[in-house]
Amino acid sequence: MTEIKHHAYLFDTTRCIDCRACMVACSVENNIDMDKTRIWVAGLGVTGTYPDLQRGTMVYHCMHCEHPDCMSACPVGAYTKAEDGPVTYNPDLCIGCRYCMNACPFGVPHFDYDKGIIEGAFIDKCTFCPQRIYNGQEPACVETCPTDALEYGDRKELIAKAHARIADHPDRYIDHVYGEFENGGTSYLILSHVPFNELGLPDLPETPINEVSEQVMEMTIPFALTWGAILTGVTVGVSAYNKKKEKNAAAGEKTEASK
Amino acid sequence: MKITLPKFLRIGWLPFTLIALMGIAFIVAMIRYTFGIGAISDLSYSYPWGFWISFDLFTGVVISSGGFLMAGTVYILRIKEFEPLLRPSVLTAFLGYIMVAVALLVDLGQPLRIWYMMIHWNGTSVLLEIGICVMLYLTVLAIEFAPVALEGFKLQKLAHLIHKFIMPFVILGVVLSTLHQSSLGSLLLIQPAKLHPLWWTPILPIMFFTSAISVGMAMIIFESSLSSRYFQRGLETHLLAKVAKGLPVALTIYGLLKFSELAVAGELGYLFTSGTMSVLFWAEILIGVITPIIWFSIKKNRESANGLLTGAVIVLVGLIFNRFNVSWFAVKHPDPLFYMPTFMSNVKYFPTLPEVAVSIGIFSAGILAFGLAAKYLPVFEDEHHAAHAGD
Repeated sequence: MTEIKHHAYLFDTTRCIDCRACMVACSVENNIDMDKTRIWVAGLGVTGTYPDLQRGTMVYHCMHCEHPDCMSACPVGAYTKAEDGPVTYNPDLCIGCRYCMNACPFGVPHFDYDKGIIEGAFIDKCTFCPQRIYNGQEPACVETCPTDALEYGDRKELIAKAHARIADHPDRYIDHVYGEFENGGTSYLILSHVPFNELGLPDLPETPINEVSEQVMEMTIPFALTWGAILTGVTVGVSAYNKKKEKNAAAGEKTEASK
Repeated sequence: MKITLPKFLRIGWLPFTLIALMGIAFIVAMIRYTFGIGAISDLSYSYPWGFWISFDLFTGVVISSGGFLMAGTVYILRIKEFEPLLRPSVLTAFLGYIMVAVALLVDLGQPLRIWYMMIHWNGTSVLLEIGICVMLYLTVLAIEFAPVALEGFKLQKLAHLIHKFIMPFVILGVVLSTLHQSSLGSLLLIQPAKLHPLWWTPILPIMFFTSAISVGMAMIIFESSLSSRYFQRGLETHLLAKVAKGLPVALTIYGLLKFSELAVAGELGYLFTSGTMSVLFWAEILIGVITPIIWFSIKKNRESANGLLTGAVIVLVGLIFNRFNVSWFAVKHPDPLFYMPTFMSNVKYFPTLPEVAVSIGIFSAGILAFGLAAKYLPVFEDEHHAAHAGD
């Protein structure tokens, strides 16, 4: 295997046979319940009208965005984006506010709604199997996939591969690699034969959606200082004005009295 | 047979109801702490934020905005005639923020770690800014309210001492309020893919701040009116009339901003084409903006106790409705775990009874605390202000 500079996945809807082995593999590898698995398969059912019928399946887990919204939103910095791709979550910092779940346009982070205060309720999401990828193995879901619907590799190489596959079968695919540019790029890339919004993927701009809120946040401290200075100025000004008025009033009284 | 209760047990029906509601909320909260949030609420992977955030956080913070408005008016602009309204507003704000904090302790997955916000900072997070502002502002409000409490306990000297050094705290309080009232809007900036375009705009923070000012004014009228009825004391109608006169101005600015933003973004079409969303939007504008502008433009309504209260309630209903729209009704979450082809539209959230009971219980505690403070502390006693007026 060549050296991987930027870990990424490529998923091809046309190859997926809905066997859900990836879910089992994820559950086993990460020791989590099947109903809380970090990867999930959604069958689209039969679409189209007879005789042009189609079936599609979407395998879904963390998109490992290049500009993760969960990380931007997390107040305590529990999320990290590794330079080589994976977006990871640190339960030791999490306060359970669930803002990451709100922020994630893909609805990826899961939360322990069934845990009380003693066990502690945490977020759960795909970790990119660091215990495997940094030891030269593929992530559990990819290794298990019998049809190579899920592939793992370097992001650039996978994008090239995806475009080559579209070029080879222009009749089979929509001419777009989802995740190449969406939300500033993701490390989970998707090839599809049906429009991406039918797979439940949101239409996202190429600029990361957290850009707006991050710009607003940058203005916070300068704004606070300016506003504080203005208010102090007003306070001093009003108080000086009042004093002057009192003085004038007093002086006026004096002159009145001396008359 | 006639049963007579000992004197300390003879409380009115209102305090009794409030205490009962608090008890229910306490039991529900204990269930939540034992079995998890899922045991009592309808919150899900798709709807991580629900009634608690819309009501306790968004509504709780916005109805507490009267505190900084009055503090700014009386201390910074030195408009002394509003002084009788200052203490009740600061008290409402103080209690309001305590209620927000308590509610968050129920909503957070790790309530014992709430203080992590003080040491682990992620500078890009709007929620961090809100957390820090709320914590600091709660401290400021405690300091602003301290003289009242101290006077109540006959510690006049200490009260005077705090009063002497109050200015920096007032300024800090106004700055913090401006920041987090607007930041609650910024909180939703990260959801352009989920929040309906009628509400999502890059100027959400400005919208939130302008509407918070209107809510603050309405709240001042509302709490003064209610407490004057309950405690059978005089109502500062002439002062409230002045506040009411400001409301149409503030609301007009808010409404104009809202529509001009839609026009600039080229989203005016959504006003009529978004089905339920259009209806929600128009309901919000009609109740919260247009009706009160007309209502308070009529002099008769501004100068009668009933007119003032009715108008204030209309403003509150409309603008609180706005907070619910922005944080809940107009937000569509994907449900990637159990989704169907119509992905973005078939996820439902509806608050459960226990969920609402928690909020009602916390709110009841706030009302009870307000009542007790108003009864035993010099919150409404105008003669006390005379001593401070000339500081």
